[in-house]
Amino acid sequence: MATSEKKSLTGFFWAWGIITAVGVVLSIWLPQRYMPEAMSNDAHLTMTTMILFSICAAPVAAGVYAGALHILRNYRYRGEGVPPAAEQIREHTKLLVTWLTASAILTVFVLVWGLGALASENSNTSSNPLVVDVTGQQWIWSFSYPGSHVQSNELYLPENREVEFRVTSEDVTHGFWVVNMGVQVDANPGTITTIHTTPDKLGVFEVRCEQFCGLNHAFMDAVGYVVTPQKFTSWLAAQPQQS
Amino acid sequence: MTTTLEPTESVTQPRGGGLARRQNFGTAVAGGVIFAFLGWLLARKLFYTGSDNFSDQVAVMTCVGWMIGFWIGIGAFNAPFKWLLGNDNSRDDDLYYAGHNQGRARYWKYTTDHKVVGVQYIIVTMGLLGVGGILAMAIRTELITPGTHFVNQQVYNSFIAIHGMVMILALIVAVAGPWGNFVMPIMIGARDMAFPRLNALSLWSLVSAATLLVGTLAVGGLPVGWVVLGTVADQAGVGMDFFAMAIVVFTVSTTVASVNLITTVISMRTKGMTLDRLPIFVWGTVVTAALALYAFPFFFIAEANQILDRTVSTSFYVATGGGTSWLQANLFWLMGHPEVYVILIPAVAALFEISTVMARKPLFSYRTAVGAMVSLAGLSAVVWAHHMFTSGWAPSLGGPFMVTTELISIPTGIFFLVLIGTLWRGSVWMRLPTVWMFGFIFNFLIGGVTGIYLSDVPLDEQLHGTMFVTAHFHYIFVGSVLFGAIAALAYWFPKVTGRYLNEFLGRISFWLVFIGIQITFGAMFLSGLKGMPRRDASYSLAFEHTNFISTIGAYIIMIGMLILFGAIVTSWRHGEPSGPNPWHANSLEWLVPTPVPLENFDVMPVVTEDPYHFDKEIVSS
Amino acid sequence: MSLDTAPPSEMHGGTPAHHEAPEVVDARQRLGLWLFIGADVVTVGALLFTYLYLRGVDTSGHWNSLLGYRGSLHSYEYWDNAANNGTLKNPTLIYPGWLSSGMQWLVSALTVVSAGVIWQAEKTLRATKNAKSFSSMAIFAMILALVGVVVSAVLLSDIPQVFVAANDSLTMSYTAYDSAMMAIVGSTLGHLVILAFLGLGLAIRSVRGAITGDRWFQARLVRIFWVWVAVSSIVSTLITTTITSVH
Repeated sequence: MATSEKKSLTGFFWAWGIITAVGVVLSIWLPQRYMPEAMSNDAHLTMTTMILFSICAAPVAAGVYAGALHILRNYRYRGEGVPPAAEQIREHTKLLVTWLTASAILTVFVLVWGLGALASENSNTSSNPLVVDVTGQQWIWSFSYPGSHVQSNELYLPENREVEFRVTSEDVTHGFWVVNMGVQVDANPGTITTIHTTPDKLGVFEVRCEQFCGLNHAFMDAVGYVVTPQKFTSWLAAQPQQS
Repeated sequence: MTTTLEPTESVTQPRGGGLARRQNFGTAVAGGVIFAFLGWLLARKLFYTGSDNFSDQVAVMTCVGWMIGFWIGIGAFNAPFKWLLGNDNSRDDDLYYAGHNQGRARYWKYTTDHKVVGVQYIIVTMGLLGVGGILAMAIRTELITPGTHFVNQQVYNSFIAIHGMVMILALIVAVAGPWGNFVMPIMIGARDMAFPRLNALSLWSLVSAATLLVGTLAVGGLPVGWVVLGTVADQAGVGMDFFAMAIVVFTVSTTVASVNLITTVISMRTKGMTLDRLPIFVWGTVVTAALALYAFPFFFIAEANQILDRTVSTSFYVATGGGTSWLQANLFWLMGHPEVYVILIPAVAALFEISTVMARKPLFSYRTAVGAMVSLAGLSAVVWAHHMFTSGWAPSLGGPFMVTTELISIPTGIFFLVLIGTLWRGSVWMRLPTVWMFGFIFNFLIGGVTGIYLSDVPLDEQLHGTMFVTAHFHYIFVGSVLFGAIAALAYWFPKVTGRYLNEFLGRISFWLVFIGIQITFGAMFLSGLKGMPRRDASYSLAFEHTNFISTIGAYIIMIGMLILFGAIVTSWRHGEPSGPNPWHANSLEWLVPTPVPLENFDVMPVVTEDPYHFDKEIVSS
Repeated sequence: MSLDTAPPSEMHGGTPAHHEAPEVVDARQRLGLWLFIGADVVTVGALLFTYLYLRGVDTSGHWNSLLGYRGSLHSYEYWDNAANNGTLKNPTLIYPGWLSSGMQWLVSALTVVSAGVIWQAEKTLRATKNAKSFSSMAIFAMILALVGVVVSAVLLSDIPQVFVAANDSLTMSYTAYDSAMMAIVGSTLGHLVILAFLGLGLAIRSVRGAITGDRWFQARLVRIFWVWVAVSSIVSTLITTTITSVH
């Protein structure tokens, strides 16, 4: 019966460290390089979460990859024919317990962070949000500001004021996604779904449909603007009044 | 592949004439076409032509006709009606239906021999993967740059849905179909499965359903997304009726297959094959079958409701009538999430099995591996609404479903521990199955971690409906499940054919597919991060670079898969002979000859230990 | 694993008939049946989920109301023509009402009684070994099931339609409640057809000697399934007759 000698673990730990480092760098860089410009409190939280979860994942991935590399380097059978039997290890309770504990801790951490983020998103900070009614219809978004009897196909929002979107559809299910603000909710016929967020940066943003809704789903975009409160008021006043 | 048992007397004709003995795939198709036509005629006579639903009613009747005619033609109704009339099969009948002495013809028939069914599943899986693959190439080619190129939006929208559903069907059966059928009964020391006729029924129902599914291409397509959300599915043309009927038939196929698999493992193990000596692959198939048994009825009802909405204007998913697409989404995902574990677990279980043989040591922490598969299956039944975080159906349930979903990362993590732990300090035999297994390890980690992002509600509010999701599940389906399926094929190919799958071509294929996946889906993650929605026939300039890269990667994958296909075809008849136990493994399937005799074992084996003792020579090949 | 070859207790050569004891085969078939019943439990559960969830959401308040015209008043063609000619008056909110509890309970009762008949038939067969009387009782159970099929069909045809001319579509439609009931009653009907088939099979097989006082396993298998269908019928009728309006 063949035994395989225990190979030195130095290489494994080096690999683990290096891959973790690369992973952490990518975790910090990739989201910021590629994700859309964050223009709301929710979007900032999303970006932070993305980076944090990636950093947490890096050592886990690195451990598995370093392990696989270690096996490929040290335990490959390089002879002819059938390899001899290896040491018939069936259990390693310490390793199992360590692994389970570590993964449980990581899971709980990720959960607690996520539940906390969810709670902070949902806490209704403002008693007087700006209400915008969003209606999806194949294949166009329209926004109406009930307080002011204004309807528009472009979404104007004032900076630093919480907005509550009340979303519905005239026909099939659409997906109302305010890309730069990290919030989305489906637009369903016959019901109203609600999300809210607070824009905190001036500029142009995008609205896209993210629930497949038929032929021109790919073109169901809208453009939005976060403007100063004064500009917003004057824009509202300049729009034609709807009944 | 003839059997090695010779009858002492010639096989006699059954009572009732030889008609039943002439049934095969040809008569099935003929029956299907004839009854489809009859259904079509009947519908046009019976139903009010001015109705909005007329074309759907005709389509559904046509599909019902196809289904019934196919089953009549293949002989699925023979046994029930014989039962009704009190005629039972003789021993000769049973042997005939098991394919005895029929040579290659038995692969075209309602054959009950589980090994024949296993090979049939290999062929059907390859066919479905081929169709899905062609559609994938069409999709990626269309997306090479922004704008519309060679297909219009309607066709593109149709391609993505059919690609999705065809591939899902292919992956559901990719490991459990061929190997759950061919190998598993031999592995437990049984002569056949518990319900051999249900075995044939599940295979041929799949063929019938797959025909309807692919047939949607011919009747206007399926421009609704593969999750066929109730509202948009209601609007679609008759392709949607074909889809819904395909699903109705498909759930029959999976239900009977699950009943068969579970009963076989529970009640037909040979003497000494206690539960803790059961090969880990068998555990995987049982857990999968139990999960499938629970999940697929939801899909059946989801699509049956849709059929009613479309044919008689009920209001399950129609808001004006009091319906809601949230109902369809709930029913669909109650099936849909367990379904992805139905897809995953057999691949993982096969890799567990392979890892022991290729490392020449026992499975690391066998009971934990079983526990991980069982808890994964159990948890998967209570996470479904994470697909609906942004639907608005129940905002207060976001938290609970987030909890259950993130808990799944624990058993999934165990899979890595078991695989790495088995290979660690092993004498790792770098043959073709091992190579694909390492690829699985790399890809499954990426797929798994990105799933955790999506399980976080605030993150999902950004990423849901983007190409990030698409990249995540392609890393799982293509990068992980497909790799496991190919490893399983390379591993058990010698048992089926007596030859090795060509190692050289297999490795070239591996590198092309592996690298292609990183390019295609790595770039796709970036498309999604940037904000590209999924199911978009055209996209804005911001996403053009990542899409271009993804398309290049897709072509690399395609070349790799074509090489693999070539390897399979050439190796089947002309590959290097392997002998009955090329991997020197100890599970029972390797201790029977190749080709495997009709009833597997001459003398029933008695088992005294699990198959993971590589330090003893058991039986020389 | 080690392969201790068992002493040859079966015939070698040729095609030995590997007969397994009927008890072994029966145990296996019962396991398969219970697994199949498990899938059926989920199916019926999904139907009841459909019913309860639609009622819970009550989209647009239309769990059991629809804006349109009472469909039963005229033929589909009439409504279609009127809509196309623009001669339809304004639509009103139609309340089709609840399906007859009495008929629903009748179907359940028929299922339960027929299950009792089949069970009693099995017991009698095992005790008296009288295959002929078993056959008659099976026929009786089959007839009860067929009556159930007829009553279910009547119930289905009673489901009220509302002609809806909204947006671009003109169609005979159903409220969410009626839609869910259609699915549930349809499923009941399907199950009863299967029961009738099984009852007929038992009757014929016992006359032809495939089922006897000593070989009664298949009778038990059918009985188990029959009882399940009866139980599921009671559960669903309980729900659909007591949980109706949204308040």
